[in-house]
Amino acid sequence: MSARPTILLTATAAAVLVFLQLPVIVVALSSFTETSYLTFPPQGFTLRWFGSVLTDPDWLSAIGFSLGLALLATLTSMVLGTAAAYAISRRLLPGSDAIASFLMAPLVFPAVVIGVALLQFYAHLGWRGNFFALVASHVVLTSPYVVRACLSSLAGVGTDLEEAAGTLGAGGFTAFRLVTLPLLKPGLVAGGFFSFITSLDNVPVTIFLLGPGQSTLPVKIFTAIDQGGVDPGLAAISTILILLTGAALAIAERWVGFSRFV
Amino acid sequence: MSGPFKGVGLASPLLLVLLGLFLAPVLLMLPQSLHEYIPGTGTSEAWTLQNYTRLLTDDYYREIIGRTLWMGSLVTFLCFLLGYPLAYFMARTTPAWRAAATLLVIFPLFLNLVVRSFGWITLLANRGVVNNLLMDIGLIDSPIKMLFNMTGLVIGLTHIYLPFMVLMLLTAIQNVPRDVEQAAATLAASKLRIFFTITLPLTAPGILAGSILVFVLTISALVTPRLLGGPAYKVMATLIYDEFMQKLDWPSGTSFAFILTAITLLIIWGAGRVARKWSGGLA
Repeated sequence: MSARPTILLTATAAAVLVFLQLPVIVVALSSFTETSYLTFPPQGFTLRWFGSVLTDPDWLSAIGFSLGLALLATLTSMVLGTAAAYAISRRLLPGSDAIASFLMAPLVFPAVVIGVALLQFYAHLGWRGNFFALVASHVVLTSPYVVRACLSSLAGVGTDLEEAAGTLGAGGFTAFRLVTLPLLKPGLVAGGFFSFITSLDNVPVTIFLLGPGQSTLPVKIFTAIDQGGVDPGLAAISTILILLTGAALAIAERWVGFSRFV
Repeated sequence: MSGPFKGVGLASPLLLVLLGLFLAPVLLMLPQSLHEYIPGTGTSEAWTLQNYTRLLTDDYYREIIGRTLWMGSLVTFLCFLLGYPLAYFMARTTPAWRAAATLLVIFPLFLNLVVRSFGWITLLANRGVVNNLLMDIGLIDSPIKMLFNMTGLVIGLTHIYLPFMVLMLLTAIQNVPRDVEQAAATLAASKLRIFFTITLPLTAPGILAGSILVFVLTISALVTPRLLGGPAYKVMATLIYDEFMQKLDWPSGTSFAFILTAITLLIIWGAGRVARKWSGGLA
């Protein structure tokens, strides 16, 4: 039997792939328009909108806030997630499967429900607008990705290497650090990348927890479109995000062959 | 330290974060939903189920629940319809093409949700790319309304959740043993027959898993329905958002959040039962 995809199948697949890139292409191209309103195809070519966004202190502070939040949430998720995944994978505690399911639950649980639940919880405790409380709420959303990637990596790493290291006199943590951790690296990088993107992307939880004067990049774009509609400045900031995402994806792919972990 | 102590020590920090900032806040919302909202003062002292009965009997709210579930069904079906051919192509093509296609599938997945919805506004608006194109080539005389209605929501959400479906289906199709298909081919079965009697049924668990994931994510989506549907065309998640942020009616919003959660959990539980039944049938 011939295994090659037929022309019809190839054409359909290509059309679906184009559909997937469509909004990206439109946003990126329309950010170069010379008109003051958003139009496609763009009229003329200018980098003015990039300049105006990148010199606006409000946008810069939102970018900084988002990056700091995503970085802290990701680092915390990687430490806590790796430890928990190790305990689950090595069956160090009873009910490992139930615990794993619970740790993955935020992946399918309605995010908006987590958002309003934390809004009431934080409002009660006076934590609304607290940066570290926001980081902790993002750990809830991002840690499942680290746990999942680490569990899948650990499944392929037997205990015999750590035991061999133990025989050679390495203590538990030394053996983990020198033997298991390097083997976990691809999974950790992939999980960390997912975690970072998830935090950077989040609106449905973040929007309920921000204090006055605080804004993350996606919440700021969301609110701007929701209240005032679209303009070329928003297209420019979106294009910057598109380029950063593309670059990060390319680096992660070259570094660890990341598409294996999706 | 060894055994259970070590395990508890390693797992408890993350477990505590999830118990404290996920499970507890969700459960602690329950009392809130059982009080009446009094504008200006807050909530009543008396306990009541009226938030739930109102949401389930009032036509306005029932329409929103129905619309949300219909939207979830349409998006799930379209994701399957568009996703299967792509996943099938990826499973059967050369490794190099598969890697390239995988990157094109996950790139939009990682791109900011707000940015992707923004792209669809540009495409679907009355003076947007799609309408201009259709009018230029003379297919239509006046713009087709594709924003602030079901059409826009379904297109935007299909785009957003399609990558999840493709990745689930790809794994399922790759797991179909090729020798079964080859055996059928040896017995002179046509390609279509092989597909419908072998490949499709063997990928059913993957189709189920992908569909459940897409459905559950679609009915709880907030950003895309809000941006493509506007403030007036509401679904469950945007209604919850408005109850909390605009109307400040927290009891109502909380009750609606629990109804959305109940639907989600019920679907996941039901799908789990079906999946177990299928795997039980095979063993």
